[in-house]
Amino acid sequence: MGLRVFAVLITLFSSAVFSQDKLISGPGATLTENKCKICHELQHIRRSPLSRGEWADNLRNMKERGTPMTEAEMAVILDYLAAYYNREKPAPAPSPDTLVSADPMQQLLDRNACSGCHALDKRVVGPSFREIAARYAAENKSVLSLAKKVREGGKGAWGPVPMPANTTVSEADARTLVGWILKQR
Amino acid sequence: MDGSRRQFIGTAAGLAALAYLPRAKGQDTPAGTMSNESVKAGKVPAMQWHSERPLTGSVPAHEHDFDVTPSDRMFVRNNLLTPSIDPTRHRISIKGLVEKELEFSLEDFKASFAPLTIQGMLECAGSGRSNYKPAASGTPWLGTGGMGCPVWTGARLRDVLNIAGVKPGALHVAGQGGDFGALATVAPVIRSIPLTKAMEARTLVAWEMNGRPLPTVHGFPLRLVVPGWVGSASTKWLHTLTVLDAPFKGTYMDSSYRMPRTPVQPGEKMPADTVSAEAWPIKSMITYPAPNARLRLGEQVLVSGRAWIGEGDVSRVDVSTDNGRSWTSARLSAREDKYAWRKFTFPFLPDAPGPQTFIARAWDTRGNAQPEVPAWNPLGYFWNGWHKVEVVVGA
Repeated sequence: MGLRVFAVLITLFSSAVFSQDKLISGPGATLTENKCKICHELQHIRRSPLSRGEWADNLRNMKERGTPMTEAEMAVILDYLAAYYNREKPAPAPSPDTLVSADPMQQLLDRNACSGCHALDKRVVGPSFREIAARYAAENKSVLSLAKKVREGGKGAWGPVPMPANTTVSEADARTLVGWILKQR
Repeated sequence: MDGSRRQFIGTAAGLAALAYLPRAKGQDTPAGTMSNESVKAGKVPAMQWHSERPLTGSVPAHEHDFDVTPSDRMFVRNNLLTPSIDPTRHRISIKGLVEKELEFSLEDFKASFAPLTIQGMLECAGSGRSNYKPAASGTPWLGTGGMGCPVWTGARLRDVLNIAGVKPGALHVAGQGGDFGALATVAPVIRSIPLTKAMEARTLVAWEMNGRPLPTVHGFPLRLVVPGWVGSASTKWLHTLTVLDAPFKGTYMDSSYRMPRTPVQPGEKMPADTVSAEAWPIKSMITYPAPNARLRLGEQVLVSGRAWIGEGDVSRVDVSTDNGRSWTSARLSAREDKYAWRKFTFPFLPDAPGPQTFIARAWDTRGNAQPEVPAWNPLGYFWNGWHKVEVVVGA
């Protein structure tokens, strides 16, 4: 029993630590967090504020290294980093991220980093939500089985690029996401 | 040439995708990789972990007081995840500008070449980065750390290249390893070295570190060892060597591991005119005593450290006990191997109670000394400033 309680505490503690890996709140913070956290911790941003020109170089380098982000997204991230992590001027006071969608479903997609690889109607890394909805509605797949796939990952259904496991997505969120995706036909 | 480079990348993406298998339920470690916890279990508790993703860690200078760096103190620097490779299925291929493209299984490879054992330095290009002011972008390596000098065993890269037959016009050799990232879009880590360094007698395709098979995080089952040069040249988990007519074109050659050709002002953006980061400049560190150690009045201590250089040789190491006002030459051990660090020792008799500082400064045979503070550069490479240790002399 002691061990099980310990394991639960450790899990809670690690998810707390994970969720604390944040940037200063401001316009573009959520997008920046989502793109950068795919590969590395955010301390790399917090510990070394750069000039705007260096951030531009850095973003181009990260794009070359494989970060899935559009030119428009890069422009938002550059504006954010050059405002909040600029070694040449103090950061403005934290403010709400006005660039986050007001749509709660979009917030859920962003928060769980789905938007890193998927978009509504075009392929980014993975299939679009419309393609997913069309196929799985035709196959009559259950929300539960697809939610499991979101959390545990999968391979081979959409070509050579696998869907990584997303263990930080809660079961409830996974079901909400899948329910919404299946309606995007 | 361009065609073969594209193919090279294509293979990389294919391998990265193949390496993904469904993960076991509830685990946070992608299939085909070793977890950070397992890597850490193979290291001493003194190892300081600078980042988890990608995993980087090193021990501080006073934990480096060894002539040969033990494997559990060797620094860890990944760009991507730590791949766990099945040695029975691993292949190494040699291609590009060669008479005959070759592919070996691990066993065939080890049986085909006379093994050579060397002792050689590896040091991350960013080792010491946290000393730079203003902070430079990248892994926050400690003031010292991010280096080590183990013993390596493997085939000479030149023997491998000679069997394949290097064609005229060859200028660079690129190494590619089996590490992969969190997404399939992540670019493979590919670095190339000039053919002259590839043909150097101590550049190895190694399979042992300190007499044991390479630990997973250090490149099992095969890695390049390009001693004296920035660590990124020593590709881990090596599966492909490609002979090229020019430096490899890719993000890890063109946008990382670059230095301004002429110094820039601290905080300035990377200029257009840059050079590739290759051999380390002259450097040293004090490995004994530890910072804040308590020395006894009238009781002699042997201040010790290590000095090294990427290409060339160390000529002497000076130690200052008065904050750099005066310097005395330390005793320098004999050169054991071309790319091995050398030990220096300096007897010191504490004759006054209170704080005491030791500073080390090494010189190379071309007359270059370590600067107190090296020239700032945007990516924070090649920190080789004086190493200072403060202790206390008790009454």
